[in-house]
Amino acid sequence: MRLRLLIGAVGVAMGLFGALRFVQLDFPDIVNATLWLAGGVIVHDGILAPLTLAVVVLATRALAPRLRTAVTAGLVVLATVTVTAIPVLGSWGAREDNPTLLDRNYVLGWVVFAALVLLATAGAALRAVPPAGDSAGHDDEQQTHGTEEDAS
Amino acid sequence: MKGPPIPTEASFTSPARHEALTARVGTWLGIAFGLCFLTGLISHWYYLYDAPLTPPTRPVIGYRITQGVHVLSGIAAIPLLLVKLWSVYPKLFAAVPLGKARDLVLHLLERASIAVLVAAGIFQLVIGLANYTQWYPWSFSFRPTHYAVAWIAIGALVVHIAVKLPIIRAAYAEKLSEPVVEETRETASYGGPSRRTILRTALLASGVAVLAAAGGTVPWLRKVSVFAVRTGEGPQGVPINKSAEAAGVTTTAREAGFRITFVNGDREQSLSRDQLTAMTQRTHDLPIACVEGWSAAATWTGVRLSALLDLVDAPHDATMRVTSLQQGGAFGVTEITSGFARDPLTLLALQLNGQDLSIDHGFPCRLIAPNRPGVFQTKWVTRIEVVT
Repeated sequence: MRLRLLIGAVGVAMGLFGALRFVQLDFPDIVNATLWLAGGVIVHDGILAPLTLAVVVLATRALAPRLRTAVTAGLVVLATVTVTAIPVLGSWGAREDNPTLLDRNYVLGWVVFAALVLLATAGAALRAVPPAGDSAGHDDEQQTHGTEEDAS
Repeated sequence: MKGPPIPTEASFTSPARHEALTARVGTWLGIAFGLCFLTGLISHWYYLYDAPLTPPTRPVIGYRITQGVHVLSGIAAIPLLLVKLWSVYPKLFAAVPLGKARDLVLHLLERASIAVLVAAGIFQLVIGLANYTQWYPWSFSFRPTHYAVAWIAIGALVVHIAVKLPIIRAAYAEKLSEPVVEETRETASYGGPSRRTILRTALLASGVAVLAAAGGTVPWLRKVSVFAVRTGEGPQGVPINKSAEAAGVTTTAREAGFRITFVNGDREQSLSRDQLTAMTQRTHDLPIACVEGWSAAATWTGVRLSALLDLVDAPHDATMRVTSLQQGGAFGVTEITSGFARDPLTLLALQLNGQDLSIDHGFPCRLIAPNRPGVFQTKWVTRIEVVT
């Protein structure tokens, strides 16, 4: 407990130092940055996460259980890596006077990337053994009952 | 019309969500955030004029490595953060304990700390990711804001670890692939990925994201880095950050009467480019490494800066003010501390990779010093004076 309090106190001190720096910014910067701080949470919790859940529900209905692992892994890689590529895919930072910046065909790169993920996913799905009775796929199915609610 | 019911924590039934997974993804995410924070502090250090200790000039590729790690650890964190947030999303809908005041206060405090952590974490990754492509869709000043929020994010992360320590310990005591204890109807038909598979997938995605971006700073990865901001190509084999056109120097840098002036108090010495060429030329391999995380190795030829400062008997411990022909921008006038100014490798470069500097690389002459951010490797230098 004392260790936790110590770590917590260090964290609070670091955060307060940052907060102090933050409130010393120019006022219009504080307002704009606050909008961006809130916007990130709203976009994630309000749009991205529900969208993910919707995809999970649809995929669960559409896919046989033995395909779910491969497809989920493929979608996670595809979606999260694509998020990291949004600024290059949009190339909003490109400048006419600087041809050395954002100088790849990123859409083509994404198509190649997506095709590779698709291939790997299809390969993994084909290798997935169809469930035969009760024992199938137990390597990939663990569940500890009642764990969702004890972590508050 | 009735809307859909508001979900509760129990509405989320996926057996894949579990502290054993959350703690492990969180550990990797914490490592990425930690690396990003530390390398960010190093980068920030270079921008401080009043630091009690100035950054070292060795290793020559120091900033190339730390800033590459900064950008890539930030990118690595993105898939990990998304999976981590997925694994705890039901907590957003957890019941608020309204019974005891103490429980309520603790609950709200923890929620507040998590809100700060999530907001600051997403903010840092989003603005960092945009900045590395030189895209600035906001109006706040990037550097002081990124720096302030970095401390907020890391502080909230440390608080989060302190709060969750017992859960983290319990989670690590448990195997990731605990056997099925009791099957409910949902889990019997689950068939989805195991927690171990999700952890591995998150790490795989993180690694793929890094590989796809790293070519901007790791030359042998250029071919596979389909999302790298730069191919590494450019005039004289080196990319540029600010063009002569953007700096507004296309006329002034080409003027025949160009002179660079060295100043120490009332002592002044002006030199033409031909006079610089007539001095002892030295050639050094020094990387150009930018704050956006891209970098390139290059061979520079020019006059040792220290020899030029001696022309006006500048004190050896003097900080020098370097002025560029560049119009506007925060780095048209910068300072170079004595350690960098007097380093034997620091050049006023006239050539890059065996040819006269192109105008985009800083013709007629530019500064190049070891282990320094690109923004301080001033191009189109016109005046270097002792700071008094």
